Amino acid sequence: MASFPSLKTGAVAQYPATRRIRYQNQALRFVDGTEQRYRDCEAPLLRWEIRLSQLDEGEMAALEEFFMANQGAFGSFTFTDPFDGATYPDCSLEADALPLAAVAEMSSTTSLTVVENRN
Amino acid sequence: MLVYPQLGTGALSQFPIRKERRTRTVINATADGRSIKLADPNAVTTTWQLEYAELTDTEAGAMEAFFAAVEGTLNGFTFLDPAGNLLAWSGQLDDAVWATGPMLRLASGEADPAGGTLAWRLTNTGAGPQTITQTLASPGDYVYCFSVYACAQENTTVTALIGNGRMAQSVTTGWNRIAFTGTGGAGAESVQFGLEIPAGATVDVYGPQAEPQEGASIYRASTLGGVYADARLRDDELAITSTGVNRHSCTVNIIHVNHL
Repeated sequence: MASFPSLKTGAVAQYPATRRIRYQNQALRFVDGTEQRYRDCEAPLLRWEIRLSQLDEGEMAALEEFFMANQGAFGSFTFTDPFDGATYPDCSLEADALPLAAVAEMSSTTSLTVVENRN
Repeated sequence: MLVYPQLGTGALSQFPIRKERRTRTVINATADGRSIKLADPNAVTTTWQLEYAELTDTEAGAMEAFFAAVEGTLNGFTFLDPAGNLLAWSGQLDDAVWATGPMLRLASGEADPAGGTLAWRLTNTGAGPQTITQTLASPGDYVYCFSVYACAQENTTVTALIGNGRMAQSVTTGWNRIAFTGTGGAGAESVQFGLEIPAGATVDVYGPQAEPQEGASIYRASTLGGVYADARLRDDELAITSTGVNRHSCTVNIIHVNHL
């Protein structure tokens, strides 16, 4: 399975990076004001927001190739959490769009979001 | 062949260059967090936003003439990605997009100058020179730069090729980047890029790259290539602002859609 590309430094993310943990719970509210809550999924899912800047053209091209090889949000890949080093074997890109901006020579920026898939 | 104009410098664009890749995935999300996905490969869209400043009268005139020729969004044209490697499968020299001479042997997995093992060993087992080339449906009138990293077991000379142009380059036992700038031939509608290896020589190569500009930039590994036939302007209006004598600026939006 493909892996998310790392930068020349070996890192996959730069500051600021955001990791979100999301549960999916449901609540049934009754006429008397009480409520009953239950889990709608077995475990939380993670989501990483990666913003990259000061990339060189080679790093940018690698991310673009990765996006196209995955067909945007369709494909899945292995992602190593930059916060704790844990490996998540089934992740996808969240969006079907990848914005790329070459601001100057060896100074490109992009941003993308990786989401963990439920098996 | 309608083609997007190069600037007087030989460059196709100026910084900043904004590009967006867009795909289409149909996702059926289930209540428990799982999802069923369906890809739509034909829906890939690529857009560029090119901002120009300090254009000369001639360059601004060429832009206006091009805009008139394509009649805004009406007609398609060939666009070469200024932020990409024009060659397809630059790291896979045995792919069908590459034409190799019958006596040229290819072996992958050699050490490359970036610290990996993505270089290819080209061995000419014949009695005459052998070539490895890729032909692109790109305008011959453009200025191109073809570059590749090369090293050899023994010092030798290879020939870089752009269209009918040839340039001999010495290759030593250490990695060096060969860069050859030239045009593809007046009026030609396809251009061939590649290397010619002399008889009996063994050369390791890595990172072949073709760019629509005069100099080589950092190597970008590519699979899709950077020639977009039937690209379109996004807008029916072109605004050119004159900021002084012989100084103009404008912004151009270009779109390429696979299924059109």
